[in-house]
Amino acid sequence: MSKRTLPRILQTPAVVLLLVWMLVPLSMTLYFSFIRYVLNSSIRPEWTTPALSNWRGFGNYNYVLNAKDFWFAIQNSVFIVSSILILTVILGLGIAVLINRSFPGRGIVRVLLISPFFVMPAVNAVLWINMILDPVLGLQGLAVGGLNDLITGLKDFPVLGGFFAMWPTLEPISFRATQTSAYAVIMMVAWQWTPFAVLIFMTSLQSEDESQKEAATLDGASPWSQFINLTVPHLARPIAIVVMIQSIFHLSLYAEIEIVSRGNGNKNLPYLIGEFTSNNIGAASATGIFAVILANIIAIFLLRMVGKSLMD
Amino acid sequence: MATVAQNSKLGNVLWPALAWIIAIIFFFPIFWLVFTSFKTDADAVKPEFLFFFTPTLENYTNMTENYDYWRFATNSVITSTFATVFALVVGVPAAYAMAFDPSRHTKDILMWMLSTKMLPAAAVLYPMTFLTKNALGIFDTHFLVILVLCLINLPIVIWMLFTYFKEIPKEIIEAGKMDGVSTWGEIKDILIPLAWGGIASTALLTFIFCWNEAYWTVRLTTIDAATLSKLIEGNRAPEGLFFGRLSAVSTAAIAPIVVLGWFCQKQLVQGLTFGAVK
Repeated sequence: MSKRTLPRILQTPAVVLLLVWMLVPLSMTLYFSFIRYVLNSSIRPEWTTPALSNWRGFGNYNYVLNAKDFWFAIQNSVFIVSSILILTVILGLGIAVLINRSFPGRGIVRVLLISPFFVMPAVNAVLWINMILDPVLGLQGLAVGGLNDLITGLKDFPVLGGFFAMWPTLEPISFRATQTSAYAVIMMVAWQWTPFAVLIFMTSLQSEDESQKEAATLDGASPWSQFINLTVPHLARPIAIVVMIQSIFHLSLYAEIEIVSRGNGNKNLPYLIGEFTSNNIGAASATGIFAVILANIIAIFLLRMVGKSLMD
Repeated sequence: MATVAQNSKLGNVLWPALAWIIAIIFFFPIFWLVFTSFKTDADAVKPEFLFFFTPTLENYTNMTENYDYWRFATNSVITSTFATVFALVVGVPAAYAMAFDPSRHTKDILMWMLSTKMLPAAAVLYPMTFLTKNALGIFDTHFLVILVLCLINLPIVIWMLFTYFKEIPKEIIEAGKMDGVSTWGEIKDILIPLAWGGIASTALLTFIFCWNEAYWTVRLTTIDAATLSKLIEGNRAPEGLFFGRLSAVSTAAIAPIVVLGWFCQKQLVQGLTFGAVK
């Protein structure tokens, strides 16, 4: 056996499996996106089979682009993803710097901080929307109720009572409502992914050049300017990687959106595809192709960054 | 900032205290879930029992009747275990070849593998349903779930193994070749013992990803092969009727993985950033 053949044979199963896994379903999606294809239709039964005679050209794409839900889903996807990114990067940076030095119980602090990342998404959503955010029975509802009781009690106070009497009664927020369900999703996902950002930033901080910092201290640089001029540039690459990896994961959020409000007022592209799939496969497939394009744009940047560090 | 903290006595107390407070806030939802799981459904929604109550194990002892927990848990264990094993069986030889006998195309192949991981699952939802239900008839089987979990994690498995294998000096493997050891012997007797730590942590992390997967396991199963993700999503408990029992089953679903996760924080960085952050 020649020197080249064996490595190829060893790689073959992995390559073939991934090739089939990628190409077969995706080419079906591509095909379905160009034909009229619905699961149920009493008027046009011929559309219920994926036949080439139902060719529609770019009709499905046109239909999707003109659907109000599509643009809403794109906007909402971008809103959710960017909110989560801003929250996790800022919190992650702050926390990583905070725990980057030794102090009593640092190991336990790390374990506590990382834990949310391992909670399965379905449990995360169920836990937050019910036990924490529910306006009546969750901690939010109980806290608001408690505050209101406190304020009512204070109103009976001599002299100061008049001041508290001007305070309004607090209303708990329902996070299953149309306007607020996106916030619930942002909160729970940011909670889950901040630990990830912390972990990455911390790993990277440990390789920061300490002597550079000491020199800066001797030169009288303030801690803040050290952070801005030394630490942040050092973290530029990890920040970019955290942003891109999270973008890819959060663009396909599904379980959280389903559990919080069944997509009520809070659809993203995967959710919209799910809804189309209940009947209009053509539209679902066209939306799917748009989602692939969107993910690819981000993936190209990520692959470039990863590629640089690959062979050194 | 860290330097301020190093320079002042007050900072020595203040910053660690802040770190502890933040850590406790982050852990609190998990604590609350576990805490609530020891309350009865009735107690769980009563403000007067918020912190002080008579703990009960009934939510755990009734888990089988209420949710058929063990069936879903068994499915999770079976599918995650086999998917991890298969991913390693396919991944180890591939990563071995790429690390020790790279060709011009190795880098491109690795990149391409990673790019398959980035395709949005929803885009192929209907084709997958169609293929598995109508064409192949493997919808809602363990085989299907294992196959899908194995495939979606294979790129990460190969990447992680590749970065571990690259650390092993080539000479050791070459020496084996000189002694006339077969390729299989090289993998079995030289590579696996040397890279045992890396392989084990890859396996651990893959298992975690499989366990927590919540798109395909929910969409491609109904009853027979349904995993814990499906169980929880199907019992989202509106209006707080069953906070106690829901907390118990959720705790049981996440506990093994959270504990496992504590042991592979380092591997997580490597696995999720594809070796780009070290």
